[in-house]
Amino acid sequence: MSQCLNEFQKIFAIALNTYREIIRDRIFYSFFVFVIFIILLAVVLGNLSVGQDERILRDVGLAAIGLIGGIIAIFAGCNLVSKEIDKKTIFVIFTKPVTGWQFIAGKYLGLSAAVLLMVTLMGLFMSGVLSAASPHSFGSQINSLLLPVVLVQLELLLVIAIAIFFSTFATPVMRVLFTLGMWLIAHLGGSLREFGRLSNNHPLQTLTNAIYWTLPDLANLTRARNLLMYGNQGNHEVITLITCYIISYVLILLIMASIITEHREFS
Amino acid sequence: MTGCLIETKGLTKEVVSQFLRKRTCILDGVDITVEQGQTFGLLGLNGAGKTTTIKLLLGLLKPTAGTATVLGRTAGSRDALQKIGFLPENPYFYSQLTARECLLFMASLFGVPKEIARERTEKLLSLVKMSTNANLPMNKYSKGMLQRIGIAQSLINEPQVIFWDEPMSGLDIIGRRDVRHILHNLKEEGCTIFFNSHLLPDVSEICDTIGILHKGKLIAQEKIATISTQGHYKDLETYFLQSIGETDDSTQRLPQ
Repeated sequence: MSQCLNEFQKIFAIALNTYREIIRDRIFYSFFVFVIFIILLAVVLGNLSVGQDERILRDVGLAAIGLIGGIIAIFAGCNLVSKEIDKKTIFVIFTKPVTGWQFIAGKYLGLSAAVLLMVTLMGLFMSGVLSAASPHSFGSQINSLLLPVVLVQLELLLVIAIAIFFSTFATPVMRVLFTLGMWLIAHLGGSLREFGRLSNNHPLQTLTNAIYWTLPDLANLTRARNLLMYGNQGNHEVITLITCYIISYVLILLIMASIITEHREFS
Repeated sequence: MTGCLIETKGLTKEVVSQFLRKRTCILDGVDITVEQGQTFGLLGLNGAGKTTTIKLLLGLLKPTAGTATVLGRTAGSRDALQKIGFLPENPYFYSQLTARECLLFMASLFGVPKEIARERTEKLLSLVKMSTNANLPMNKYSKGMLQRIGIAQSLINEPQVIFWDEPMSGLDIIGRRDVRHILHNLKEEGCTIFFNSHLLPDVSEICDTIGILHKGKLIAQEKIATISTQGHYKDLETYFLQSIGETDDSTQRLPQ
């Protein structure tokens, strides 16, 4: 039992170390400033519209949070393992009794915690701006934003796992392109499958189906997020299913990344 | 455990280039034996394969052929790593962390309980004379300061076997003296030490046994005492140069 606890403490130590490294980096805060700027810009855009100011603020604000969160997740995630190799800090990690899966799990949890903190701060700022811009109370604004922001965080957890997976073997440029590509396709998977179905071409249909089933599907998550954003009652069954789907996908990616790391040589 | 703590038999490492798939042999059938409590210095020119040997003994690289064991276990196994301390060449640590945080982090990777880790951290910071700078982020450190922290982190688990790759690198005269003191103390405590170095005076002062690696082959393994008393060698440098087939250039003068 204590041995098992010891193994989890190593993951926690790596996670804490990764979290500290990220949140102490000034670049991390420049992204936050950028989101503040976009949200304030959305307030100006909302004032130019006719009665749609709150909607514009919500749309632009949440899109900015998702996008900036995604950029942080991709660039930090893609460099997470390779930075350790380039700076040779990996030598001091893997000469300790640490396994590949402990390293990957720790890195993933550390980056996830940093990104979740950032998204939460952005969400709180957006709630504050919404409260100031509309007569509703701060509490109700937080309530209306809570689930959509949680779903953004859920999506980012998947993006971080994709980025870490590619960072274990691909070259710097390719790992960013692969992660961006996979994130994009995850939103368009349904359309791709529909395209194959409409083509009436059997090989193409098989190919698009294979892509749809292999790559993650985030279309339902976006749909659920948009419904929740405008006060519609979300289908809890669908949200639970999406959560389980993303957690499973994250676990598969992290297991593959751990296997690659475990068998890797560090020259 | 008594007897042989580090052993390689026919240790060979080849690398294959990515483009033309050309094979290059970095280490060729190296046999090294280091007894418990011994201080072993691995000498060699740049590119001789010294760092590769250490990486193979730590499991960072996998051998193409041959075997490597440390503390009676396969090199790189978690049981062996639990009792090993390692200082890499030109160590680089997490730049946003402080030295104290770094040492506590390294201790947690060995599963050292928090209270003991805190105690050892303070003791080691004082040993490497870094207590006053321990709360500064490491991106503010000089090369010598990083080297001192590297030495401290390699001792955080109170290891039985130490692998130090160029421990004197980046250190000033006082730093080198301090490291020699640390090595002497570790030796007295019965620690087995394996290190690479270019600095022959330090090697001859600290080591019991040396091995000379040349073009991936171990061409000599000898006790320092034997070299200085029995041989016809003036010093370790002469022994080293003669072993690798180099003539002593000090006898050759440029034409006037």
